[in-house]
Amino acid sequence: MADAVNCDEAQDLLALDAVGALEPGERAQIERHTATCPTCAPLAAQYVDVVSLMSAALEPVPPPARLRRNLMAQVYAEASAAETNPWWRRLVAAIPASRGMTVLGVAAVAAAVILGFWGVAGRGSAAAPITYVVSGSTSQPLVTGSVTLDSARTQAVLTVHGLAPLPASEVYEVWLIPADGTPTGVAFLSPDPADHDWTAVVNGSLERFETIAATNEPVGGSSAPTGSQVLSGHLGPS
Amino acid sequence: MHLTDDDIIRSISAHSPEGIEALYDRYGGLAHTVALRILADRGAAEDVVQESFLAVWRRGSTFQPGRGSLRSWVCTIVRNRAIDRLRGDLHRTRLDTPIEGQTIEPAVTDPWAAVALELSGEEVRKALAELPLEQRQTIELAYYGGYSQSEIATKMEVPLGTVKGRVRIALDKLRASLADRLEAPWQMQ
Repeated sequence: MADAVNCDEAQDLLALDAVGALEPGERAQIERHTATCPTCAPLAAQYVDVVSLMSAALEPVPPPARLRRNLMAQVYAEASAAETNPWWRRLVAAIPASRGMTVLGVAAVAAAVILGFWGVAGRGSAAAPITYVVSGSTSQPLVTGSVTLDSARTQAVLTVHGLAPLPASEVYEVWLIPADGTPTGVAFLSPDPADHDWTAVVNGSLERFETIAATNEPVGGSSAPTGSQVLSGHLGPS
Repeated sequence: MHLTDDDIIRSISAHSPEGIEALYDRYGGLAHTVALRILADRGAAEDVVQESFLAVWRRGSTFQPGRGSLRSWVCTIVRNRAIDRLRGDLHRTRLDTPIEGQTIEPAVTDPWAAVALELSGEEVRKALAELPLEQRQTIELAYYGGYSQSEIATKMEVPLGTVKGRVRIALDKLRASLADRLEAPWQMQ
């Protein structure tokens, strides 16, 4: 059993704990003391909060847009898996997200979703997938493609043909745009070297959005569209 | 629509992806800044931030309002993971970040949450600058460097008791200084 400490000693340890400098075994001493000490117990939270305020003194370094994309792609994929959890969902969730989706990963997602559609359709037990047409803009008029929303209405796959290759410093970023709102970056298009199609998985519902579009952006993506619009499509009855 | 921290906590508790999205939108920048300060490597910092938020998503209900604000909770998770990464000790479970078991609860009104929102970086920098150099170095070695008290004592060539004293005095001064700036009704010990 850990040695008992008095308030003065406990407060030293609470301060050390807040900055992460405790030695092994000292936490037990704190916990035993604060369990019964009304003076020291609230001090723990106060020290932790004041230490976290130290970070406000740092020069803020905004994370790249891809970090949010990758994180939320993983979260939505796992949320979908938790809802229905068939094998193809688990495959989606298993794709590594720490460094963006690889071409192989995107291909796997697309294959998984297509197989999922097939499986669902085969059972005849869910709503049918919905497909919307997308087309090229003036900068790339030959572009054609479609976005297919899955039967659970939680994930869509954008497939595009005819997009021009990009320099290594740029990506095609996909945006969802509400009727009267700001575009939200949701994914990056990845090229399939086999058939020159580009694909992107869009997680979450498309319900509140009216348009899907893509622009060329610097690697890592942008917080708002800055490049040329290369395609767009209306998310609703044609 | 503006979500409060309590709204975000409830949403995370309900295992809603939107809760993680809101948490990231509010504290992702802070998390990235802290991770980058500790690791000094953009790729590693991004990995740590992503792992931290995914851990919150997967494990969910570990926030305990009695242990500080939501902001502090996020900082602690990111800081601990970054320090683990720094030490190459990816398999160690941090005791100070409980990972499962507790039920999430809305935070009670927390004066320090308000402090965090209202204080500017300049005010915090000023408060830190008012600390004696050795006190500031001690808390920064611990928090951003991941050194334990005995490691700091060795590194700074001072007795262990001196390290303890410096950390506590520094935090007490910061607490008083930041509360004074906001004229917060704060009861000092």
